[in-house]
Amino acid sequence: MKKMISLIKASMTEGMNLFKVNTKKKSPFTKIVLPILIALLLMGVMYSYSELIMEKLAPVNMQFVLLTVFIILTSVLIIVEGIYKSGNLLFNCKDDDLLLSLPIKKSTVLFIRVFKFYIFELLYNSIFLLPAMIVYARYTNPDILFYIVSLIGLILFPIIPILISCLIGTVITFVASKFKGKNIVQTLITVIFLLGVLYFSYNSENLFNDIAKNAANINDFITKLYYPAGAYIQLITKFDVIKLFEFVLINLGLFAIAIALIGRVYFNINSNVKGIKRKKNNTKYTIKTSTPTRALIKKEFNRFINSPVFVTNAGFGLVLFIIASILIAVKFDSFMEMFTQNGIPISLEFIKGCMPVVLLGLLCFTSFMTSITSSMISLEGKSFNILKSLPIKPYKIIQSKVMTAILIMLPCILIGDIIIFVRFGFDLLSIVFVLVASIILPLIAETIGIIINLKYPRMDAKNDTEVVKQSMSSAISVFVGMAIIGITVFLLFKAVTSNISNNIIMLIFVIAFGIIYLLLDIFLHKICNKSFENISV
Amino acid sequence: MLEIKNVTKKYGKNIAIKNVSFNVNEGEIFAFIGHNGAGKTTLIKSIVGIHKFDEGDILINGKSIKDDPISCKKEMAFVPDNPELYEQMKAIDFINFICDMYEVPQDIREKNIKKYAKLFEIENNLNDTIESFSHGMKQKIAIISALAHDPKILIMDEPFVGLDPKAVFDIKEIMNEMIKEGKIIFFSTHILDVAEKLCSRVAIIKKGELVKVGNMQEIKGDKSLEKVFLELED
Repeated sequence: MKKMISLIKASMTEGMNLFKVNTKKKSPFTKIVLPILIALLLMGVMYSYSELIMEKLAPVNMQFVLLTVFIILTSVLIIVEGIYKSGNLLFNCKDDDLLLSLPIKKSTVLFIRVFKFYIFELLYNSIFLLPAMIVYARYTNPDILFYIVSLIGLILFPIIPILISCLIGTVITFVASKFKGKNIVQTLITVIFLLGVLYFSYNSENLFNDIAKNAANINDFITKLYYPAGAYIQLITKFDVIKLFEFVLINLGLFAIAIALIGRVYFNINSNVKGIKRKKNNTKYTIKTSTPTRALIKKEFNRFINSPVFVTNAGFGLVLFIIASILIAVKFDSFMEMFTQNGIPISLEFIKGCMPVVLLGLLCFTSFMTSITSSMISLEGKSFNILKSLPIKPYKIIQSKVMTAILIMLPCILIGDIIIFVRFGFDLLSIVFVLVASIILPLIAETIGIIINLKYPRMDAKNDTEVVKQSMSSAISVFVGMAIIGITVFLLFKAVTSNISNNIIMLIFVIAFGIIYLLLDIFLHKICNKSFENISV
Repeated sequence: MLEIKNVTKKYGKNIAIKNVSFNVNEGEIFAFIGHNGAGKTTLIKSIVGIHKFDEGDILINGKSIKDDPISCKKEMAFVPDNPELYEQMKAIDFINFICDMYEVPQDIREKNIKKYAKLFEIENNLNDTIESFSHGMKQKIAIISALAHDPKILIMDEPFVGLDPKAVFDIKEIMNEMIKEGKIIFFSTHILDVAEKLCSRVAIIKKGELVKVGNMQEIKGDKSLEKVFLELED
């Protein structure tokens, strides 16, 4: 047990330093205050959402639905994200050799890895769930048992989602480990799997109807849909000590079973993932000359495609943009019909007319939710010194990272744009404005991303997931992105409802975006050298 | 010429290097020795432009690394102690990448890559990804990348660690060839026998301060370098 505690302690201080930043100035502000502020701010946003939902639920005495929604949503989020994170968190970690050489059971190593994953998700989950629980308590004035059950629930809720994602992640890694280009195969399988989940959820109306038909009441429906949510709701509405034990035992039992199951194959898969075949006697190599910028972009692209978690994280939003464009193009009329049937007074012609502005909003959303550069410096890790020793200006290196991100994003964005152009027959001016915005918006998003990463690099991560999903830089990028999306969409909405012509709106926004990008680029140029030098590995 | 002029580097309140000064002339192999944590790597990283330093200056053929880092870096090549290369890249792509950064013409890079890959017996592995390599193989790739652009000054931090005996011999031969062409070689090492046999000049650093610098023969006199080093450490 002493060993286990020491291992957990070491693991937490090393790898679970969630918002560890690597700057010269490690002030209490960056170390403690800033992460807490971000968490509190996010909790504040969740609290407001919870309040809004609760205002509708309280009059019909359905307050528990708020908690159900939040539990199910956070669980789905953990599963989806966990599928592409788990492969990276469990396998081929940098401390494998050290841990496996220690006199501890191999299953302990697996337990430590899953536990670390669990702790992160627990903190992440709490940001979403705690505000909902507080709002529920405020509206229902529950007794002490609610707080006890909620605390137990908060601790147990991440278990089942992380186990599901670990199992799926293990299967994907196992299959990918059989191929030569493991990383690329792993990325492909993960993306295909996630798209499958998306397709299934889009077509799962019948499944929900079947569950609803066979459920005795709404609690039974929730339990059948997702056991932990149902069990929790039952416990807070009608406490039963046996049910509480059952709830705890099922979660812990599943945890033990999953560790045992994954443990049987874990070390074989891990060796396969590490084992890299070399070609025999392959003397045919190509020596090619390239410009420094092209070589830097090629290097960045190589890094990108070889990191499943990086590709999935960045690529998913882009794929969703294409899917959203197709859905808008194909199902536009039925969406409109749905609005009309629900009594929402939106005219078909009005929406069709302001489609360029709608597309601008969609582009803004996609660009700021796809921050590739916010991880690119941190992903250099210890090899960052190679860049520092090269006879290349830091600004050029940084720009190559931004350019790579743009080259990754642009094809997907253009596909989405063209689908909408064709479906809604945009005029030439609108097409030009949208195309310019399609370049400027990702440029702004990626420049902001790289500035944030320059300020908050994480150079000692054990794996890519710690950088892409669990670093200060990526958290700030998401947060800043959300704020920019909110402001832009609000302004766009105000503009379209003020009878200003579409092209004028587009012109104003494109000019504004252009100015913002220029200012950001000047700022990047100004801080680049110093920030680059300050990053020490 | 490589000139280190009163260089001081601090990490917060800790002084890693204190007022270090010495020169390395053309055609010299210069050994930089000291115990672990003495400040060798810090000074080397300052020379190649990885670390900033707080006081003093470092001149590369008369140009300051502080004021004109790009020109200085173009004249140098650096081989780190721990080759943290781009793991997912093929070895040949990595070497090509470094050559592209130094804008090495096609004919020169072809000549050098083929020459050194053959010498280090790694030509059959250039198409493999670096992650599949052992420490020694990675070190060979780092050395080939450094030599591929014909640097005037070669800076190496513990270059012999992890290399097989033949590769160590080959590097020593390359170093001797380079100084015949008037180039500069500056390296840190813990292998004092090699330093003693190979280098014309030596500097010994202790707790960030230079305790000895000069001709190898003058420094060691009738003793071995190892003995002199250990006496200084006491």
